[in-house]
Amino acid sequence: MKTLRAYLSTLLIAALVITSLPVAAAPAAPQSMDLVSTQSVLAGDRAGADREKINEILARADVQDQLLKQGVDLDEVDARVAALSDAEAQQMAQQLDQLPAGAGGGVIGALFAVFIILLITDILGLTDVYPFTR
Amino acid sequence: MKTLLPYARFAGVFMLTLLLAACARSPVLLDSTYEALTPQVENRTVPFFAQTEYQCGPATLAMVLNYQGVEVDVDQLIPQVFLPGRDGSVQPEMLATVRRHQQLAYPIRGTMDALLNHLANGDPVVVMQNLSLPIYPMWHYAVAIGFDLPDETLILRSGERERHTLSFSRFDATWARSDRWGFIVADPGTLPEGITARNALEAISAYEEIHGPKEALSSWQALIARYPSNPLSQFALGNALYADGQPEKAMAAFDAATQYDAQMGAAWLNLGILRLQQNKPDEARDALMQAASIEGSWQERAQQLLDEY
Repeated sequence: MKTLRAYLSTLLIAALVITSLPVAAAPAAPQSMDLVSTQSVLAGDRAGADREKINEILARADVQDQLLKQGVDLDEVDARVAALSDAEAQQMAQQLDQLPAGAGGGVIGALFAVFIILLITDILGLTDVYPFTR
Repeated sequence: MKTLLPYARFAGVFMLTLLLAACARSPVLLDSTYEALTPQVENRTVPFFAQTEYQCGPATLAMVLNYQGVEVDVDQLIPQVFLPGRDGSVQPEMLATVRRHQQLAYPIRGTMDALLNHLANGDPVVVMQNLSLPIYPMWHYAVAIGFDLPDETLILRSGERERHTLSFSRFDATWARSDRWGFIVADPGTLPEGITARNALEAISAYEEIHGPKEALSSWQALIARYPSNPLSQFALGNALYADGQPEKAMAAFDAATQYDAQMGAAWLNLGILRLQQNKPDEARDALMQAASIEGSWQERAQQLLDEY
């Protein structure tokens, strides 16, 4: 997957360089009449448009990688990546490991000490782990 | 390792002291909240889907989506939002999955006052909690559906419990650990009361990214109806109107954006481009000159267009 990423970035850089060449060579070429998009204004101009684009595509490739590694079905991965906004894709790519994953799963197989601490904090009203404390 | 033990013990005692000191704290609500709200609110029409194992994310989404009239069950949502490797679901994908079902996910302001006000308006709110302590987290999603103000309790659809009540202070302690993260699901073209302009902008923009500007148009219009003088909203509306084939109205929106924020170069540039397209070279020149005089990414293009026309 790492090599795929390396290939992809080389390809992207090459593609962007090539496509930008004619523009540099012929400054008199007619301007595109595309409007500035809402998303690019919201994202702010933290980086050049091209670099931003590369980052977005790489981020999405990264997220795709990570979702596969986390056991998401192959058929679902594309749709899940596509549903993310650019900002969310970047967030997922950069910190999926640190993002809290809401699970709320029943009994926790914890150490006895942890059990006691959570029991106390439950009684104190700081946590909501054991239903029987109320 | 042995030398570390006394420190660990000290740290433990210190932490317990902190905890004990913290337990007296109860979330302070604004007086205005107490005065404005009905004492008891509960939206009983929110359907309940029990979670199995670690599926509180899919179960929570099933509740709010079905409440919105989207027919989808937990089993369909699991492959869309659940991460097997993490035994849970992460926040960005919770929002993204809502959008896959043609609904908008509006983040709320993270305060108890904001939460209660949303509930009083009848909007169920998805909240993220850490039911345990930061050192041993148990992240959890639930749907807040109501409250009892005199009793200071919140009512949730949570986990396997259809009606889970817990005190404001206990809830706030668990909610604070997620930086009080929460969101409301709404139909396109509607904007729930109390959502900030910035949060709405981000939510509608994200929706627009996957469904296109035409589908987002009605939501931008709802945002403008609520915040007419917000320049970014006018700008976004202009783009959606243009995509919908309404250049005249789009120009009016970009024009409004520049009136509310004369330094918004992107709006000046779009206004200039549209005026060029509409064969209004003089007016286009005015707008492009403005864009070219304001520092930013639009400057270069505005200058090039000025040179050409």
